[in-house]
Amino acid sequence: MSIEVKNLCAAYNERVILSDVNLKIPKGRITMLIGQNGCGKSTLLKTMARILPAKKGDIFLEGKNMAGMTKKAIARRLAVLPQSPVVPEGILVKELVGYGRFPYQKPLSGLGREDHKIINWAMEKTGVYELRERKVEELSGGQRQRVWLALALAQKTGVLLLDEPTTYLDMAHQLEILELLKKLNQEEEVTIVVVIHELNHAAKFGDHIVGLKNGEVLFEGTPEDVICRENLRNLYEIDAVLVNQREKGYPICMDYSLIGR
Amino acid sequence: MCRSKNKKIFLAACILLAAAVCLSLTMGSYQMTLEEIFATFFGKGNRLWEFTIYESRLPRIVLAVIVASALGISGCILQAVTRNPLAEPGVVGINAGAALMVVLWIAAGTKAYYSVLPVSSAMLMPAVAMFGSLLSLAVVCALSYKQGIGAIRFILCGIGVNAAINAVISFCQLSMSKGDFNQVLTWTNGSLWGSSWNYIVLTIPPVLVLGGVAVCRAKVLDVLALGDELASGVGLSVHRERAFFLVLATLLAACATAVAGNIAFLALLGPQLAKKLAGNQHKVILPLSAMIASILLVGADVIARTLFSPIEIPVGIVVSIVGVPYFIYLMLKGK
Repeated sequence: MSIEVKNLCAAYNERVILSDVNLKIPKGRITMLIGQNGCGKSTLLKTMARILPAKKGDIFLEGKNMAGMTKKAIARRLAVLPQSPVVPEGILVKELVGYGRFPYQKPLSGLGREDHKIINWAMEKTGVYELRERKVEELSGGQRQRVWLALALAQKTGVLLLDEPTTYLDMAHQLEILELLKKLNQEEEVTIVVVIHELNHAAKFGDHIVGLKNGEVLFEGTPEDVICRENLRNLYEIDAVLVNQREKGYPICMDYSLIGR
Repeated sequence: MCRSKNKKIFLAACILLAAAVCLSLTMGSYQMTLEEIFATFFGKGNRLWEFTIYESRLPRIVLAVIVASALGISGCILQAVTRNPLAEPGVVGINAGAALMVVLWIAAGTKAYYSVLPVSSAMLMPAVAMFGSLLSLAVVCALSYKQGIGAIRFILCGIGVNAAINAVISFCQLSMSKGDFNQVLTWTNGSLWGSSWNYIVLTIPPVLVLGGVAVCRAKVLDVLALGDELASGVGLSVHRERAFFLVLATLLAACATAVAGNIAFLALLGPQLAKKLAGNQHKVILPLSAMIASILLVGADVIARTLFSPIEIPVGIVVSIVGVPYFIYLMLKGK
């Protein structure tokens, strides 16, 4: 197991978002978190990344309890890409990606030769090496998303958490990002967890799917096992028309409508 | 390429600062030529020259540079920590807190004029100011605290606290004798009037140390610019670092306020100009904002001293008069 969540409770102020979540994220796989808006999937992701403190419960990262780890130690093992990170004004691509080396830097030292090598590697992997001297704010949405991915990659972690990395992108660019994640998963054996809204993306690219509703895990398993009419009805309150593609190994949602219409 | 550009900017700033210092040394109610000034520095001056330079103008200039550096760095830190270009110690109540304590201290402790305060109470001024500013920072933080200190809440609460403290300062002034009132009024508007070597000796060490710490840890400010979540994601203890830098900025601003009163806008202008010139790397723009603020303040002080000579206007007012239009121009150009 890459990440193991035990009896996790999380809350914003007094509002409880997650109540008693137990979850195991399989190592070296892509896990997709799906569910309605406000169901707690982003909160779960942020709590797993220790951006948000847990009210109760434990999270184990590769067997070690994260409560006992320093922030930098976590950042060397787990990278997270929040939903809308801030682009600092005027920053260049290579500078931004360079922040991925922050968890490895001593307070006074700059970037070493090894760091630059890793930064270049991360930019090449994500296909933004050619853009390295450009300003991030001038890039398109898809390019920018790949730059953020490069930053996370430069952290050289075994685990990568992403919060809706495909939002605001068109179909082709959504696919581009997801294909890139798949490639990273296969070539670098990175464990990836993605919060995602598009059901077909989840089924196509996910090895493991977790459905969350009202802060609880409704179902989890392989796309074939858990993407079925019954589960979707419970999860989204929709009637879905699914086609099971034997040769591709995942179901496709052909049509959907709100229940009772 | 970027590095050589920064070198040029620093060089230009050095030259400008030197020019401002020379100008400030020559100008005043008693005009001196550059030759006379250099003669004095090499020990060949007469007593009048020596007095003018060593007892009047030089301490003033040195103090202006210290004060401006402290404010420039403080403002730069605050803008980074709150991710708001309008943040500065004068806006969020930090300067006001320091000023209030010092006003109370002057009013309670002595009837003497500011410039002839006994050394013992002058010694305590930075400490008193730091105490006051930390107190107001604590109030602002307490008011804006909600699962950590949010940047926008911090600014809004700061503006409120600032207004409240300024009201208290005005109230204190109303119950003062006329002499004290004028004294405090000049001082709260920002003035280098009472500058003497005593204050310089008192403020140089803390400003150097605090400024040095800020520059050494500048990387943290860069990372904070990524937003709380991603900064946290790359291993920064966001809340702890933010608190650390808030205290740092507060102490710096307090040092400046203790000796020069509430100089408005300088802590806003310095960092903003530095960013326009040199980008976003804090290890570059922290020292650069200190330098730019110094140039502005030394220059403004020349105007403050000479414009209506022999009457001197508070330098803070000059900074505002010169700085605000330029600032508005920058904002409009920015669009």
